Amino acid sequence: MNSPHDPPVAQTGDHRGQDMRADQLRTQIAMAIFAVLTIAMAVVPSVTGNVSLAFYLMLWVTMASAMNICVGFTGYMPFGFVVFYGVGAYATGICYRILDWPILPSLIAAGVVGVMISLLLAPTLRLKGVYFGIVSLALATIVRLFIANLPDDFTGGSIGLILAKANNPTHSYYAMLVVMAATLATVLWLSTSSLGKALKAIRDDDGAAACIGIHVPNTRLKAWVLAALFPALAGGIEAWYTNVVDPEYAFNVLVTAKSIIYGMAGGFGTILGPVIGTLALLGVDHLIWQKFPVINLLLLGLVIVLLMLFMPRGIVGTLLKRKPQLRRYIA
Amino acid sequence: MTTLVIQGLLNGIILGVLYGLIGVGLNVIFGVLRVVNFAHGEFLVLGAYFAFVLMTALGIGPMVSLPLAFIVFFAVGYALYFVLIPRLSKSDDPETSSLLLMFGVSIMLGAIMLLVFEADARSLQLDIEPVFLMLGGLLIPTVRLIALLIALVMIALLAYFLYKTQVGKALRAIIMNRDAVRIVGINAERLSAVAFGLGIGLAAVTGVLVAMVFPSFSPFMGNDYTLIGFIVIVLGGLGHPIGALVGALLFGITEQVSVVFFNPSIATMLGFGLMVGMIFIKPTGLFGRQALR
Repeated sequence: MNSPHDPPVAQTGDHRGQDMRADQLRTQIAMAIFAVLTIAMAVVPSVTGNVSLAFYLMLWVTMASAMNICVGFTGYMPFGFVVFYGVGAYATGICYRILDWPILPSLIAAGVVGVMISLLLAPTLRLKGVYFGIVSLALATIVRLFIANLPDDFTGGSIGLILAKANNPTHSYYAMLVVMAATLATVLWLSTSSLGKALKAIRDDDGAAACIGIHVPNTRLKAWVLAALFPALAGGIEAWYTNVVDPEYAFNVLVTAKSIIYGMAGGFGTILGPVIGTLALLGVDHLIWQKFPVINLLLLGLVIVLLMLFMPRGIVGTLLKRKPQLRRYIA
Repeated sequence: MTTLVIQGLLNGIILGVLYGLIGVGLNVIFGVLRVVNFAHGEFLVLGAYFAFVLMTALGIGPMVSLPLAFIVFFAVGYALYFVLIPRLSKSDDPETSSLLLMFGVSIMLGAIMLLVFEADARSLQLDIEPVFLMLGGLLIPTVRLIALLIALVMIALLAYFLYKTQVGKALRAIIMNRDAVRIVGINAERLSAVAFGLGIGLAAVTGVLVAMVFPSFSPFMGNDYTLIGFIVIVLGGLGHPIGALVGALLFGITEQVSVVFFNPSIATMLGFGLMVGMIFIKPTGLFGRQALR
């Protein structure tokens, strides 16, 4: 279905076969790259004691790919994306610290709460474009204020929650690995499944999609819930890894910003894009962040501006535009 | 209790008019350019710093720095237009791209302010006697009353500009139909730059007023004001200058009256809730005509 000028009926069967083979090849290549990344990450702790960079690499691959589920597959730009991450962190913190649950159910609770919040915010999917972006930001702020107004002995107030006993960098590292692998697997599955194709059809023209029998609201909702689940889990695991739920950081707009930047640098709408974007930018970010936090902020802003002006499709997207023949290999 | 509520109502009107200025600036830019200025709040805070620097370094009061701020920031906005906006029209989804682009600008401006002015909260020291005016049992800070008057004068000027002058009429014509404007021979490119300058200039002037009214400002506050502006324009209708004012009054009054009963952040939440309610009842806002875009 890729070529816009389909030949007469007699040959379409053959073309469909070609398309399917190209599809399979692309998916296999992406799968191989993801597998290499996952295995490499799994080996890191046995090679070096300093896993911090690798941990955050996995975290941001997860965040950017989850963002991609929303932006790339549905065309919605959620500026309040951080809300899922934040409620995930708080859910884990509260379940572990206040309710005295073991860490695993606390993490599952993070996912459940993330999904619940996404269902709560689902009516905003009726909105489009900038309206959606603005409203999503406002709702994220409401949720932040709501959590800030819960009693202090529940959320730890302005100090946040400390998960002292849970401290286990290795376990939390592998938990993050599992979530990253699950996110990448989901994106891969979406790219080949009928759900993913329905989503792309809706993104390109929702009227036409509805005409051919796609249930637009339900299909969108599924992507939205998936896009919320992974950041919530990531938020919970990050809280476990760092041992704190920090009210300043859990709802920081920078979490949204970085998810967008990494995803966009690689290219939203492509499967490999967010992973490549994160790999390209995180190292730089990590190096500068440690030394000059304010300049880092300035650079982040500058990167967004330059990307928007000169490379709005990102690395992978631009590559595919310049060399369309690569579409056979890159999903 | 009644006095308190009336006091809240009055505060709501004063702040509502200020919020309205934020919303009008946003709507002028959005209406004409289809650009969502995420950095509006940062330009506002920058305006506040402008007044602060003029006052501490040169001893110039806010009455003089108000028009100065407008002129300087209008020029900045006019120039910035040519750097940022024309390239956007090539993108697949210009509106969302503009939101992202200005998001980047907002982060940059916040960081620059943090570098230059540091994180301390600043305030504009004004010596106005008397500090409070009594009006039939109501206590009103004189500065707020002055700010209200200035804001009203500005709105009157803006209305005159938009509805009576040639340039203003052309701007409104662009809001209504961009292509038709080109056909009748108006230079849409230059007018767009004027609109961007106007929006940024308005943001800076609002910033000076905000610095007068609120006890302090800091580099981190830009986002809060942007958010207020967004709520206001969603309430009033995206791209509609008058709608922004009405939406702002609604938001300001809701917020300030609920401050009387609840703590401030719950009041803010109620204000936001107002916006959510509006989206469910009438997603185009009070004055919006076009559906959702």
